[in-house]
Amino acid sequence: MGASLLLLFLAGPTALLVARGGSAGIRGVFSDGELRGALTITALTATTATLLAVVLGTPLAWALARRRMRGAALIDAILDLPLLIPHPVAGIALLIAFGRDSPLGGALLALGVRVVSSPLGIVCAMIFVAAPLYVSAAREAIARVEPRFEAVARTLGDSAWRSFRRVTLPLASRGLLAGAVVTWARAVSEFGAIVILAYQPRVASVLAYDRFTSAGLRGALPVAAALVLFALVPLIVLRALSASGARAPRRADAA
Amino acid sequence: MIELRGVEVTAGEFALRDASMIVPDGQYGVIVGTAGAGKTTLLEAIAGIRVPRAGTVMLGDRNVTTLAPEDRGVGMVYQHDYLFPHLDAGDNVRYGAASETASREAAALTGVESLLGRDVRTLSGGERQLVSLARALATQPRFLLLDEPFVALDPPRRAATRRMVRTLQRERGITVLHVTHDVAEGALLGDVIAVLDAGRVLQSGTAPAVFARPASPRVAELLGAENVIAGKASATSDGLVAITAGALTIFAVADDVMQRGEGGPRTVSTSGPVHAVVRADEIVLSRSPSPTSARNSFSATITAIGAGVALRRIELDVSGTPLVAIVTASAVADLQLSVGSHITASFKATAVHIC
Repeated sequence: MGASLLLLFLAGPTALLVARGGSAGIRGVFSDGELRGALTITALTATTATLLAVVLGTPLAWALARRRMRGAALIDAILDLPLLIPHPVAGIALLIAFGRDSPLGGALLALGVRVVSSPLGIVCAMIFVAAPLYVSAAREAIARVEPRFEAVARTLGDSAWRSFRRVTLPLASRGLLAGAVVTWARAVSEFGAIVILAYQPRVASVLAYDRFTSAGLRGALPVAAALVLFALVPLIVLRALSASGARAPRRADAA
Repeated sequence: MIELRGVEVTAGEFALRDASMIVPDGQYGVIVGTAGAGKTTLLEAIAGIRVPRAGTVMLGDRNVTTLAPEDRGVGMVYQHDYLFPHLDAGDNVRYGAASETASREAAALTGVESLLGRDVRTLSGGERQLVSLARALATQPRFLLLDEPFVALDPPRRAATRRMVRTLQRERGITVLHVTHDVAEGALLGDVIAVLDAGRVLQSGTAPAVFARPASPRVAELLGAENVIAGKASATSDGLVAITAGALTIFAVADDVMQRGEGGPRTVSTSGPVHAVVRADEIVLSRSPSPTSARNSFSATITAIGAGVALRRIELDVSGTPLVAIVTASAVADLQLSVGSHITASFKATAVHIC
C-alpha cells in the first residue's frame, strides 16, 4: 500500500503534466521555433556531455574498479561532491572557474573559446553534475566482470587495452549503457548549474522556467510536457537496446 | 625451463613466500597441494598476471619477472575455464590462436570440433574445460600452465585428455606446469614435482625422489603416504636405526637421506624425535609369521577392509598403532582376510623413510 502510494506520488504529477500539456507540447515542437531550438540545443549538449563522460569516465571507472589506487578515497569524495552540493552552487563554482575574470576563463577567451553563456558552458555544467553518475555506474559494471577474464585474454596475447576492449567492454556493456542513459537523462534535466553558467542559449529546462516566470503555468505547460516526452523516448529506446544486447552473444572482432 | 627463485607474491590476505622450483625444458612439472596452498597464485606469477614483490621468474633463458603476460609465450588453463561468455566456443578457441590452422588443430586434439558453434553457456563443465584447453593450445605456447584442468572431465575423458596433453608435451617439447590436488594424477604425469603448502614450496625435485623421500611428515601426508609414524630414533649395533613408537619398534636403514628443493641433500638425524614413513603398498600381509628378509614383522588385527575392484585398503591395529596396507583383491580372497582376523604385517627396513 505504502509502495503504491509512493509510486503514485512519483508518477502521478508527471502523468498529469503530460496529460494536460502533452498535445500542446507536441504541436509546439512543430510550431514553436524557440521550443524546437531549445530541445535541439538540449539534445546536442546532453549528448556531447554524455559522450565526454563516457570517454573520460570509463578509464577512471576501470582504474577504480581494478586497481588499488593511492588517493582512491579522495577520488571518491571528488566524485561525490557534485552530487552533494546544490546545483546553483555548482553553477557559481563553475562561473568562478571559467568566468571572464578568472585566469582560466580569461585565457580561454583570449583563445576565442567562450564558456559562459555558450553551448560549451552548458556542456561543462552538464558534465559537472552528471559525469559522476556515469563513473559510479561504470565502475560497478566493470567490477562485476571477473578480472580473470582479462587475465586469460592477456595470456592469449592481448595487451591491457586490447583485453579491455575485447573482453571487459562487451561484458560490461549493459551496465555502461545504463550508466550513459542515466547520465544523458541527468544532463537533459539539469537546470540549476546551467542557468547560472549559460542562461543563453536556452536549453529546454531554462526555457520552461523562463516561460513560467513570464507567462505563468499555462505558458510553461507545453514546454514542460515536451521536455518530459523528449526525455522519456530515448530512455525507452536505450533501455530496450540494453536488454536485447545482453541476450545475444557477440562475435569476436577481427584479431 | 620454468624457474622460480625466491618468488614472493601477495594476493589479498594470502602470501606466497620464498617459492623456488625448476621444471627443466620440455619436462612435465606437477605442483601438489591442498586447496588454498597457493597453487593458482604461483601459476599466475609465472603467467605474469600477478607481479612478485620479490624474487625472479625465468622462462627459458629470459628473466620475465616484470614482463607483460602477452609477451611471455605462456598458455594458461584455469580450473574455472573462464570461457568468454560473449563469444561462442569457436571464437573462444580462435581468440588468441597463432593461425586458423592452429585453432583447428587444437580443436581436433581436444575433441571439441563439434562444439565450436555452440554458445559456451550451453556446454557442460567437462566440455568447457576442453574448449578452454583448446583455446590455450591454439596459441601454440612454449610454456603451458594447467590449473586443475581435468577435474570436470568424466574418468574416460580425463584419462584420454591426460594422454593427449602428455603426448603433445613430449612431441612439441612444451614445458608444462600442472597444478593438482590429486596426488595419483601428479605421480602419473610428473617428471618433476613440487609440494606446496600454505604458500610455501616444502619440497621439489624429480618425482621418484620426492615420492620416495618426503622431506617432512607434512610432505609425506600431502603426497598421500598412508603410514607416517612419530617415534624416537636410536642407533642399533647392526647399523640400523630403531624407531620406537609406543609398543612398536620399527627398523630403518641408518644412512637414509632426503632431498630438499632449496638446500640439496642433507643427512637426517638418526637420534631423537623422527617420523617413519612407510607406503601402504610396501607392507606385505601373511597368515603366519614365516621367516623372511623383512626386518619389520608385526602381529596385527584387521580393523577395516576398504572397497575396491583391483586393490583393497586394509586398516590394521599393531599394538595400538594404526597401519594401512594396500593389497590386491585376490590376496584378500586367498588369505581369507576379514575384519577382526589376526595376521602378520611385514616390510623391509629399506622401505622405511625417516624424516
